[in-house]
Amino acid sequence: MTIIEKIFSRAAGKDVKPGEYVWAKLNLVAMRDFGGPNVIQEYEEHYGTRPVFDAQRVAVTFDLHIPARNEKVAENQKTLRGFVHRQGARLFDVNTGVGQHVLLESGLVHPGDIVVGTDSHMNLLGAVGAAGFGMGTTDVAGAMYKGKLWFEVPQTIRITVTGTFKDFVGAKDLILHIIKRLTTSGALNRAVEFTGEVVDRLKIWERITVASMVTEMSGDVGFIVPDDSIMDFIESRAGQSIQRIAADPHAVYEREYEFNVDDLNPQIACPHSPDSVRDVAEVAGIPVDQVFIGSCTNGRLEDLESAADLLKGRKIKDGVRMIIVPATMEVARAAVRAGVHEIFLASGGVVTNPGCALCTTGHPGILAPGETMVSTSNRNFVGKLGKGANVYLASPTVAAATAIAGEITDPRSI
Amino acid sequence: MIVKGRVWRFGDDIDTDQIYPGMYLPLTDKSEMARHAMEGTDRGSEFIEGVKAGDIIVAGKNFGCGSSREHAPVAIKGIGISVVIARSFARIFHRNCVNMGLPILLFDDPDRLADGDLIDVDVTTGVIENTTRGEKFTAQTLSTLELNIMKAGGLFAYLEEID
Ligand code: SF4
Repeated sequence: MTIIEKIFSRAAGKDVKPGEYVWAKLNLVAMRDFGGPNVIQEYEEHYGTRPVFDAQRVAVTFDLHIPARNEKVAENQKTLRGFVHRQGARLFDVNTGVGQHVLLESGLVHPGDIVVGTDSHMNLLGAVGAAGFGMGTTDVAGAMYKGKLWFEVPQTIRITVTGTFKDFVGAKDLILHIIKRLTTSGALNRAVEFTGEVVDRLKIWERITVASMVTEMSGDVGFIVPDDSIMDFIESRAGQSIQRIAADPHAVYEREYEFNVDDLNPQIACPHSPDSVRDVAEVAGIPVDQVFIGSCTNGRLEDLESAADLLKGRKIKDGVRMIIVPATMEVARAAVRAGVHEIFLASGGVVTNPGCALCTTGHPGILAPGETMVSTSNRNFVGKLGKGANVYLASPTVAAATAIAGEITDPRSI
Repeated sequence: MIVKGRVWRFGDDIDTDQIYPGMYLPLTDKSEMARHAMEGTDRGSEFIEGVKAGDIIVAGKNFGCGSSREHAPVAIKGIGISVVIARSFARIFHRNCVNMGLPILLFDDPDRLADGDLIDVDVTTGVIENTTRGEKFTAQTLSTLELNIMKAGGLFAYLEEID
């Protein structure tokens, strides 16, 4: 069995096959400040004050409009706090950060778990071998009540990565390169397993980058088998020992792809699609108005440090804005301790509070029509970050190099 | 269940930002949400002004990709669309439609249905009759489990029926 087949077999209490429709038990149900209020509305309309299936397994995270940017959002957040209070559920308020990251940091997500929530990038939980599914409000409201949902067991695609990264090339370049080949619909309704020597060596922050962008290939979930360092991370935070998960040696895959990273250069996704990917060198020289370093894809401490290494002792180009957003408060505090904040501020950047920031229109930093931005987030569809803006997606080092030069720049030329 | 309506054609990879632009996400009133259905597509205003109750959306591959926003199918259903036919659907969008009882059909050959054609669609058997062109096709229907959820009136009603 593949990983997803094992997970659904366990959650459905019987052996399942791809294509089968099953009811599966859920380990965690999450809501956020976007979508969450609609979930509560649906829940209370249908179930009134009846208790959720397990209050310890229901979590509300605030990550999108934090702190509240207008009265409507403030009211939505108040609704969610009220619900948490009435139900005894878990609340991660405006001082915590991107929901999926906060759930990982708090030890609530374990390998083999099924987690559903209202964000489209729940699948980044595949970084620790958990199945995260982004869902709509009806699903999440029903899930909170019943603790189970219906699923079609997906087929699995296996992606094997070999070789060694060159300097300034890493997880973001790899996943962009993979999306270029598979396209934005290449993993439609499929589970993906990443494997091979390169993947085995990835640390948790890099695994998060890779798993998060499975959404951009239209995949359901993307898994990386947890190694000892991941198990240590989870177990130390969960305060208990946790079972591992891996595919069987004879698991059947629908399709297989192989990649070698020996010759891979820094990659960049051009407007307006995550699969319009080219070598950074091919588009070098395009002037930019803004650079954004953060999001659930590239907002960990090591992401920030890799950008800060380039920015140390340098200034960003006059007329360019650089906005840095740590994924979580834990990351922000570690960044302060490591001196990373000081480097960003000294170079002319703006560091904001943790959260999803510019990933959507939720936070300060939206672009004016016709402006150009290099972003470390995961999407660059038309309209995602302001009407008529041009958004390029790249790694934190490409973003930092671009901020320094004021134009798209290969970090190796700094 | 048979529905009749006029075809509105859309292309491949119509994402949820096109179906329901992100700037309207704070809206919670369903009739207000409906007024922005398909607004982000290249024929958004033409659609919103011209669409009639019962009309049918026909699209290419990966319809509804992008974010998990349920506003997208809520708006489409709210503006009066009776069924969405596409070569393929994004998973979340597909689920949302089933859960709220908005019928969808998978159809390999959407180009046989042109913009403005009048068609009859049997949502349970998948039979599509193009009355404008006098042609008949069979599309793939939903699974039994999904049809049962739809028949019960959506996910909430169905969850009450099971234990
Ligand atoms: S950064 Fe963007 S994609 Fe990631 S969790 Fe936040 S809103 Fe979702």
